[in-house]
Amino acid sequence: MHRYIAQRLLQLVPVLLSVSILVFLMIHLVPGDPVQVMLQDYGSAEQAQALRHTLGLDRPLPLQFGLFVWRLAHGDLGRSIRTGRPVASEIALRLPYTLRLTAASMVVAIALGLVFGTLAAIHHRRLLDYAATVVALAGISLPSFWFGLVLILIFSYYLRWLPPAGADTAGSLILPAVTLGTGAASIIARLCRSSLLEVLRQEFIRTARAKGAGELRVLYRHGLRNALIPMLSIVGLQFAGLLGGAVIVESVFGWPGLGRLAVDAIFNRDIPVIQGVVLVAAAIFVAVNLCVDLLYALVDPRIRYV
Amino acid sequence: MLRMRLACLLVLVLALAVAAPSVGAPIRGGTLNLVTDSDPPSLDPHKTPSGVFVHALLYDTLVTADKNTGNFIPELADSWTIGADGRVITFKLHPGVRFHDGTPFNSQAVRATIERLINPQTAAPGSSWIGPIDRVETPDDLTARFVFKQPYAPIFSSLRIVFLGMLSPAAIAKLGPNYGQTPVGAGPYKFRQWIPGDRIVLDRDPDYAWAPKFYKNRGAPYVDSVVTRIIPDESTRVIAFQRGDLDVLPATPAAQAQQLIASGKYQVFRTPQDGGLYLGLNVTKPIFSDIRVRQALGWAINRDEVVDYALEKLAVPMDSPLAPTIWGYAKGLKNAYHYDPDRARRLLAEAGWKPGPDGIFQKAGQPLAFTVWTYPLETNVRIAVVVQTQLKKAGVRMNIEQIEPAALLARTASGAQDAILISYGWPDADILYYFFNSGRMASTNRVHFSNPDVDRLLNEGRVTVDPAKRLEVYRQLQETLLEQAPWIPIASPYTITLAQPWVHDFYEDKYGDLLTDDTYIQK
Repeated sequence: MHRYIAQRLLQLVPVLLSVSILVFLMIHLVPGDPVQVMLQDYGSAEQAQALRHTLGLDRPLPLQFGLFVWRLAHGDLGRSIRTGRPVASEIALRLPYTLRLTAASMVVAIALGLVFGTLAAIHHRRLLDYAATVVALAGISLPSFWFGLVLILIFSYYLRWLPPAGADTAGSLILPAVTLGTGAASIIARLCRSSLLEVLRQEFIRTARAKGAGELRVLYRHGLRNALIPMLSIVGLQFAGLLGGAVIVESVFGWPGLGRLAVDAIFNRDIPVIQGVVLVAAAIFVAVNLCVDLLYALVDPRIRYV
Repeated sequence: MLRMRLACLLVLVLALAVAAPSVGAPIRGGTLNLVTDSDPPSLDPHKTPSGVFVHALLYDTLVTADKNTGNFIPELADSWTIGADGRVITFKLHPGVRFHDGTPFNSQAVRATIERLINPQTAAPGSSWIGPIDRVETPDDLTARFVFKQPYAPIFSSLRIVFLGMLSPAAIAKLGPNYGQTPVGAGPYKFRQWIPGDRIVLDRDPDYAWAPKFYKNRGAPYVDSVVTRIIPDESTRVIAFQRGDLDVLPATPAAQAQQLIASGKYQVFRTPQDGGLYLGLNVTKPIFSDIRVRQALGWAINRDEVVDYALEKLAVPMDSPLAPTIWGYAKGLKNAYHYDPDRARRLLAEAGWKPGPDGIFQKAGQPLAFTVWTYPLETNVRIAVVVQTQLKKAGVRMNIEQIEPAALLARTASGAQDAILISYGWPDADILYYFFNSGRMASTNRVHFSNPDVDRLLNEGRVTVDPAKRLEVYRQLQETLLEQAPWIPIASPYTITLAQPWVHDFYEDKYGDLLTDDTYIQK
C-alpha cells in the first residue's frame, strides 16, 4: 500500500514536468507580450527593454524554461509579472477559496447525483425515471454562466435570500456551489442510474431478496455499494471538470479563487502565474485521483494495492 | 378642544424638528460601498498601467482639476509659477501635510516620487507622462522646482493624474517594490486591507485637512471607510447594486445603464469621457493606401445612428480625433466628416472602384473588403455591428474579428491588421503624439501613419507653452488628420455612474474620478 502510494507520487514528477512544458510552449505560441501589456506601449523602447531584461524575458526560450524548472525544483514558482508578488503567495491567497468551492460543489454533485440516479433506477421506465433523466440532461446542457445568473436573479434579486457575489459569509458559497455542482451532478446521476440498474439485475440481489432482506437494505447495502465503484472514478474525473468550471463560476459570483487568478494572468500574459496555477491544478487533480484509487479498496475489499 | 389639539400638534412638530438632523447636514460614519471589475495590478501608482478610482482616494497630487470647470487648481501645491522659457515650474507646497505613515510631505517627497517614477528600474507604465524632465530641485522644504530639458506643455494634465500621486520617501525606503501591497499616500483615505479578487478596504484619514477648495468639507471625509468590491461580471454588479449591497455603481455599460436610469430610483452621473472610439485604418495595407478610400469611410459612417443604436444615446458623436472634452479639441473643423453616403460612393468611384453584383465595390476582381479587429467588449462589438451595416449600405464589406487586448496589442505592432476599432482616453491633445508620431510605428501608432507635417505639429504641440498658440497648433493638426483620415472618429461615450438615493453629496468629475470628500450616507 505504502509502496503503491509512493509510486503514484513519483509519477507526479513526469506528469508535472510534461504539464509545465506544454503550458510553457502554449503561452509562447499565443500572441501577446507581458511587457507590452504592463507598459501599454506608452513607455519608451529602452524602458521596455530594461523591463524585459529584469524579468528575464530577453533570454532564449530553452534557458527561460530551464530556469523555471530549476527554481521549481527549489520550491520557487517565481514572481508575478503583473503584481510583483511571489506566485506562491498569490496561489496561497486564492487556493483555499477554490478548494472550498470545489469541495462544496462536489458535495452538491454527489448528493444530487445519488438521489436522482437512485430514484431513476428504482423507478426504471416510469415517470420519475424519465423526469430525472430530463432534469439530468438539462443540468449537463445549461451553461454555468447563464444558470448562475438565473440563480442570482431568483435567490439574490427577487427572494433576497443569498448574496449575489463575494465570499465573506457562509451563504455566499451556496449559489456558486450549486451552479458549479449541477453539471457534475447530472453526470453522476446518469451513471448512478445505469450502474445501479446493472447491479440490481445481478443474482446476488435476487438472493438477498430471497433471504428476506427488506427492499431498502437490498438497495443500500447490496445495490448502491456495488454501484459505487464505477462512480468513484467518474467522481475523480469530475473534480478536474469542477476546477475548470470554477474559472467561469468564480467570475460570475465574484468568488476570489484560483480560476479568476488564472483568467487575469492569461489576459495579462503573466507567464509565471499561469504556470503556477496550472501546475497546482494538475497536482490537485493527480492527488484527488490517487485518493479515489485508494477509496476503491475501502468500497470493494477485494481490491488490494501492492 | 381644537386649541388644545393645535397646541399638541405644534409641540409635536417642534419636537420632531429638534430631534431630526437639519436638512443637508452631513452625517459622520458608515461605509461607502463601491465596485470595480478587476483587481488593479498594484496600489502603487507607479506600477499600474491604468489608475482606478481607488488610487485617487489613497493619493493626492500636486494639482487637481476643479470639479465644475475642469481647470487646474491646487491640491498638495498651494501655487506655482512657470519660468519664462517654459522649462522650469516652481511649486509652493501646502504646509502641514502628512502621509498616512505620519511622515511629512515636503519637497524631498516630491523629488523622491519623481525620481522613482522615471527610474527605468521602476518600469512605471506612466513614466512618459512626466515628459522630458531633467531634475527636481528642492530649494527649501516647501518649494519644489521641476526643471525640464525642453518645455513640456501637457505637464499639468499629467500632474493631476494619479500616476503622479505623491509617495512617502520613508515608505519607499521601507517597502521597496512592495509599496503597492501596503500603500502609503497623502489622500483622504488610508489603506486597511486588500483581499485579492474580493475587496479593497480604505479608512478615512482623521488627520486629513487639505482637500481642494471645491469641496465643502476641506477636512477628513465623513464616511468611516470605503469598501471597493471586485466583481467581474457586469450583470452581477448591477444586481448587487439593485439590491442595495453597493452604494455607487461606477462606469456602467450603456445597455444596463439605460434600464437603471429609466427606473428613476437612482442618482445618475453622465460624464463625457475624455476620449472615444475610432476606426483606425492601417495605411500600409493596399486597400487603405489610397486616401480616397479612407475618406470614403469617413463619409459612409452615420455617427448619430451609432450613438442612438449602439450606445443607447449615452454618447456624443465625434467629429475630430479628439473628443470634445479633451484639451485642444477644436470646434467647427472644416474637414470634419458627416454622414454623406453619396459622397462616399463618388470618392470610391474616383479611386477606380466599381459596384459589383452584390452591391460591394470591386476593383480588378477584388471586393472592397477588410477585417476590423476589436476587443470582445459589448460596447465595441455593438458599435462594430452598426458600422458594419452602414458600410455595407455604402458598398464596403467589413468583417469583424474580436481579439483580446494582449493579442491585439502584439499583433498590431507588426502591422498585421487591416483596421482596428478601439477606444482611448486622455485629457490632453498631446495623446495624438502617441498615435500618429512616425517614430512610434511599432507601438502606439497602430495605423502605421507617417506624415512630416503631422510629426512637426505633434512636436510643436508639446513645446508650445502659450495656450492660445498651442490650441492653434492642435486645430491645424486635427484638420490635417481628418483630411488624411488614418482614423475615422466615431463616438465618445459617457461614463455612467449611478448612486443610491441615500448617498449624498457624491460627485464624479469630468475625468471620471469619484469625489467622495463631501459624501455622507443617510438611509
